[in-house]
Amino acid sequence: MNTSKISARRHQFVGWEEAEEYYIEQGLTDGLPIVPPTEARVQAMLDYAGLGPDQVIGVESIRKKSFSAEKVAINAVMAGCKPEYFPVVVAAVAACCERAYNFHASSTSTNGITTLVLVSGPYANEIGMNSGTVMMGNGNRANATIGRAVNLVKTNLYGSVPQEMDQSTLGHPGKYSFCFAENLEVSPWPSLAAEKGCGRDASTVTVFAANAPLQVSIYGDKKPENFLTAAAHAMIGLGPSISEVLVVISPEVMAYVAEAGWTRRQIQTFLYEKTLRPAREWIAWHRVDHPAAIEDPERLAGCVAEPDRITVIPGGGAAGAFISLIASWGSSRSVTKEIETR
Amino acid sequence: MVARRKILVTLDPRDEAESPSSAVLAPRPATLDGKVIGLLSNNKPRSEELLRLMADLIGERYSIKGTVEYNKERHQWPAGQAALKDLASKCDVAIHATAE
Repeated sequence: MNTSKISARRHQFVGWEEAEEYYIEQGLTDGLPIVPPTEARVQAMLDYAGLGPDQVIGVESIRKKSFSAEKVAINAVMAGCKPEYFPVVVAAVAACCERAYNFHASSTSTNGITTLVLVSGPYANEIGMNSGTVMMGNGNRANATIGRAVNLVKTNLYGSVPQEMDQSTLGHPGKYSFCFAENLEVSPWPSLAAEKGCGRDASTVTVFAANAPLQVSIYGDKKPENFLTAAAHAMIGLGPSISEVLVVISPEVMAYVAEAGWTRRQIQTFLYEKTLRPAREWIAWHRVDHPAAIEDPERLAGCVAEPDRITVIPGGGAAGAFISLIASWGSSRSVTKEIETR
Repeated sequence: MVARRKILVTLDPRDEAESPSSAVLAPRPATLDGKVIGLLSNNKPRSEELLRLMADLIGERYSIKGTVEYNKERHQWPAGQAALKDLASKCDVAIHATAE
């Protein structure tokens, strides 16, 4: 049994308004007010996840920064998380610490990515996450605060402060929060958690170093080979240097996929092959960093290196036919961790 | 009667093990006269050109012995340990291009 105590530095304020001003002036928020992280609130987070304050959630692989349960919990409280969201936050932070995710470079790059937290499995429903209408937007406490918690950890604990270590040229709104769940109610396939080898009833977090979403409208065409061609056309616009693409297909379009009997693998392969272009075309579009280094201008290259780099999930509301494409930064791989609950 | 003020105690979310003063500069020579300067490029466009320009400017102020260049090719990852050791064996100080 872990009997360690919370050891973070304490601050004293006369009322919450004074606390709010301090945290904002110190640059410890994302510009929005936070929930004051009292010891009781932080302890409630730790108790729910069964973690001691000094337990290490993960160690980032380049600067070897260690993320303690206590400090991650403080940031989760500040974000507005309920204790039952904390296991998701813990899994997301642990996933970010895997070398493949490349937390350090992705937190400092001018590319302006943020950590997209994708939850798959039954735990998403248990904590009331949104995988339907407005799934990528506002209005859901779990989606909003879990994504926010991960970003506050990045800023406050890792030090990726905007305009200091975070040199994103533009950034995007997902830097406030970018978190949603896979819509399993409309899916004809096994969950992403199951596809990742975590078991049919498992719940997982997958983190992507994500750019902003690119939405494609599907105009009444029910054949997968046709509407996926539209998606591939948009995907080509992402360029040849991205690491992975997350493809979110809305329920109306998923119905056509299911009717046609297409598997996830078929969609991955179709999109990958549809985006293969000769190197000279990418060069002509000025999408290549070092064109002089290309030895064979006729060699085919796609947006991503192989079909497995395309992740496909159902998501969104019942009305409206859309596909969303979310590119992830060239030097980061998505990482999946199982959500551990007591 | 004076009303008692309620004190709110909150916790700090930062890593208290690290502070601005915890970073320590690497030891450096008293002069660059007679030294070999390593130029470590991150393969970003024109980084080699910028490094060579810096070496030229340093050469105007000091009698440097020469330069050694190395391109780590992937700007998103640290240079490999073997490459760094090899570079370190050939130079006395190094300038590493980073970011844009």
